[in-house]
Amino acid sequence: MTPRAPAHPGEHCDIAITGRGVVTSIAEGADAFFDALLERRSGIVEDLGEVSGRAGAPCSGFDPALAMTPKEARRSDRYTQFAMAAAAQATAEAGLPGDVDVERLAVLMGTGVGGLMTLETECVKFHDAGRDVRAVSPLFVPMMMPNAAAGMIAISLGAHGPGFSVSSACATGTHAIGEAKRMIERGEADVVVAGGTEAGMTPLCMAAFERMGALSRDGISRPFDARRDGFVMGEGAGCLVLERGDLARERGAKIFGYVVGYGASNDAFHMTQPDETGRGATKAMKAALADAGADPGEVGYINAHGTSTPFNDKIETRAIHNVFNGGSPPVSSTKSAIGHLLGAAGAVEAVAVLCALQRGILPPTLNFGEPDPDCDLDYVPDGPREAPGLKLAMSNSFGFGGQNACLAFRKAS
Amino acid sequence: MAVTENDVLEEIRDQLESIKVPGAREATPENTWSELDVDSLDLVELVKALEDRFGVTISDDDLKPIESVGAAIELTMRLVAAKEGTPA
Repeated sequence: MTPRAPAHPGEHCDIAITGRGVVTSIAEGADAFFDALLERRSGIVEDLGEVSGRAGAPCSGFDPALAMTPKEARRSDRYTQFAMAAAAQATAEAGLPGDVDVERLAVLMGTGVGGLMTLETECVKFHDAGRDVRAVSPLFVPMMMPNAAAGMIAISLGAHGPGFSVSSACATGTHAIGEAKRMIERGEADVVVAGGTEAGMTPLCMAAFERMGALSRDGISRPFDARRDGFVMGEGAGCLVLERGDLARERGAKIFGYVVGYGASNDAFHMTQPDETGRGATKAMKAALADAGADPGEVGYINAHGTSTPFNDKIETRAIHNVFNGGSPPVSSTKSAIGHLLGAAGAVEAVAVLCALQRGILPPTLNFGEPDPDCDLDYVPDGPREAPGLKLAMSNSFGFGGQNACLAFRKAS
Repeated sequence: MAVTENDVLEEIRDQLESIKVPGAREATPENTWSELDVDSLDLVELVKALEDRFGVTISDDDLKPIESVGAAIELTMRLVAAKEGTPA
């Protein structure tokens, strides 16, 4: 029997990562970010002052002017500014648009909450003015809408392929990268600028997460530790350039790794609590491994969702046991250093995984001191760890709404 | 004190500056919006600034044919004069 011819140009292609971008509280730029993780730097401040009495990891020194004109920056919510900065880094690294066909260049930039600060500001102005229509900025909609970041990136690149936002709360960035992989496999694009961005550190958003009981009272992000009591809010963006491997090699692009597996699932259980059995998370991880054509034994590292909430870390551990059956590789949580970036988390963590593969070293979990019998894996607590044989690694993200996603990355040979 | 064309020009320059239009302070009545890269959203903010400063109401119909700084000055002066009951 002759093998079936590919239905789409990308169907049987490997998908290379040719650009990476990161904006976080500890560093901007993929390599600086990974260095900071290895140095165990924390971006968390105890008190956000006027924004909230709770802890957070703000990008205090962020300057939108590095990637946008002053006029563009003024017309963009902070979440779009973060995305533009991360995309500028990633596309510069990849040499985009360069000689890439812009008709086949796509943008999938997700966000969990979109332009929330704009929404808050305009809402207050509108009500303070007795609901006077004239008080509302004409820039409100293009600043607030969750697809604004994807739109601005497409404009900056002249990218005429598909473009939209992806939203699945805290799994957004991972879904965006996974869906970008699928988009190339379906033959809809050759190159996709994909990731997640978030600027949810606003007074209203902080109050809302506080009321849910999701934020740490101690103000410490300590995933998998027995004393963990919630997450610490972070902000920023992560961005990757995904590219058909054959085309990337043809144009001589530097390849930072390959995205080889993507799995997604629903808990279909509860809007904010994970399924106790870990069923949804288990399914996403298994699906990512199946998509990668890999056995669990090949995985050398998992970048956990690891939020530092009592529920997530316990159930994620259970799900990892379900998949690895006692043979789990080391697991660590980047959120221990930069807090929880909500819709940007998965994209930033994907960059951490790619750097870990490239350098053969695992980033640690900070603030881990008191083991929890329900969290009994190796969480890389003592500092960065050499992993010279690391070839395949995974990244988990689980969103409110019960939406789960997992990616698998392979080291560039 | 009577509003002068220069007052309106200065208000327009202030507003262009606040919306980060490059070269806002050097804008002249001859400049068109397209030369200044001012789009329809910018114009909404500009109109509100002129309305607030000079106490006039600029309708969408008034605004449609206005394509330059000079035309905006002329329109504002006309509306101010009408408000004050004096010929423009």
